[in-house]
Amino acid sequence: MSPIDPRLQEALDGERDAGELPADLREACARLISAAELLQTTPRLSVATHVMTEIRQIPAPVQSHGPLHRMIRWFGRPRAVTVRLRPAWTLALAAGLAALLLLPSQQGSIPTPRASEGIANFVGHFPGARSVEVVGSFNNWSRGSLHLNDDDHDGIWHVAAILPAGPHEYMFVVDGERWVPDPLAGRYVDDGFGAGQENSVLFVRPAAAQP
Amino acid sequence: MVNDDADVVARVLAGDGEAFGILIRRYEPGLLRFATRMLGNPDAAADAVAESFVRAYRHLAQCRDPSRLRSWLYRITGNRCRSHLARRHTNDIPLSEAPAPALAEASDTWEVIERSEQVALVERALAALPAEKREAFVLKHVEGMSYEEMAAVTGARIPTLKMRVHRAREALLEALEEVVR
Repeated sequence: MSPIDPRLQEALDGERDAGELPADLREACARLISAAELLQTTPRLSVATHVMTEIRQIPAPVQSHGPLHRMIRWFGRPRAVTVRLRPAWTLALAAGLAALLLLPSQQGSIPTPRASEGIANFVGHFPGARSVEVVGSFNNWSRGSLHLNDDDHDGIWHVAAILPAGPHEYMFVVDGERWVPDPLAGRYVDDGFGAGQENSVLFVRPAAAQP
Repeated sequence: MVNDDADVVARVLAGDGEAFGILIRRYEPGLLRFATRMLGNPDAAADAVAESFVRAYRHLAQCRDPSRLRSWLYRITGNRCRSHLARRHTNDIPLSEAPAPALAEASDTWEVIERSEQVALVERALAALPAEKREAFVLKHVEGMSYEEMAAVTGARIPTLKMRVHRAREALLEALEEVVR
């Protein structure tokens, strides 16, 4: 394979007028353009019927619920808090989490996860963020269903939720638009969409196995 | 634009699953063309595109910027094509040696037959390229994407993509000249 004249590359990249090229390069340019045009022939195929039949049999993707629905779910959902191990810089956070852990027990209102469920605690350090939520495989990647809170405005956001036991992929959505993996997650997996982006992975232990 | 991608995505996510058909109609021709050029086989391309649409539907809530849905769909389809190529069994016919599809029919005019032969010839030259260069050439010159959009589709950096396109052009030109001789 021999390199071709850079002027031809520039013309094909739209950085140079092809009309300015010498005759032999103009011919090569025309040959490549006509080859590309031949490849633009669209196959006489359709998968639309097959795809629509298939997607009618799977659950509809869901974005988020309205505020009223979220409030009803919030009141209806059992809530509890546990602590995931974090690095030392989160000592203050650990103290806060300990307080969160103790507070509900004093009120005697800790809901009990079922044997097949466990308690997940999502914590992130996002100073200056206006909102942080978590989306993941457990909520069909739907925004609006699990918001983190930063009541003391120290940039440490937190939420606890009862989830089915097992592994869950998730991401944080900061300020409603920036998707970021949890920098403190124990594991990451490729998100499957190329571009090298990764989802965080959390393994929720079943309640029966938690101390 | 009425019914732009973000609107349609919002409709689907609000529960109107049938609205996904709008997106299929909108992007099916381009995705089938892209996959066919990548896989060199219309049936495999149809499988890859169907799988991609179903995958896109399942994960639609994960589409981080619905206004750039086209890039997202091409990215999913590109990944499916790479998976198909990786799964190709060692005793499969290599892409570059696969027989050209029978495009011409008895009732076709001479011009149609000649064009079909030209298409088959260029397809064979394209199939001889490594997958990354083939993908770069197709996205640039067949699908008409900018290097920025190609970067969003492939995850590769723009200088890398430019290099792939340049190398693909060189190889294609050489292959086409060989045939003319």
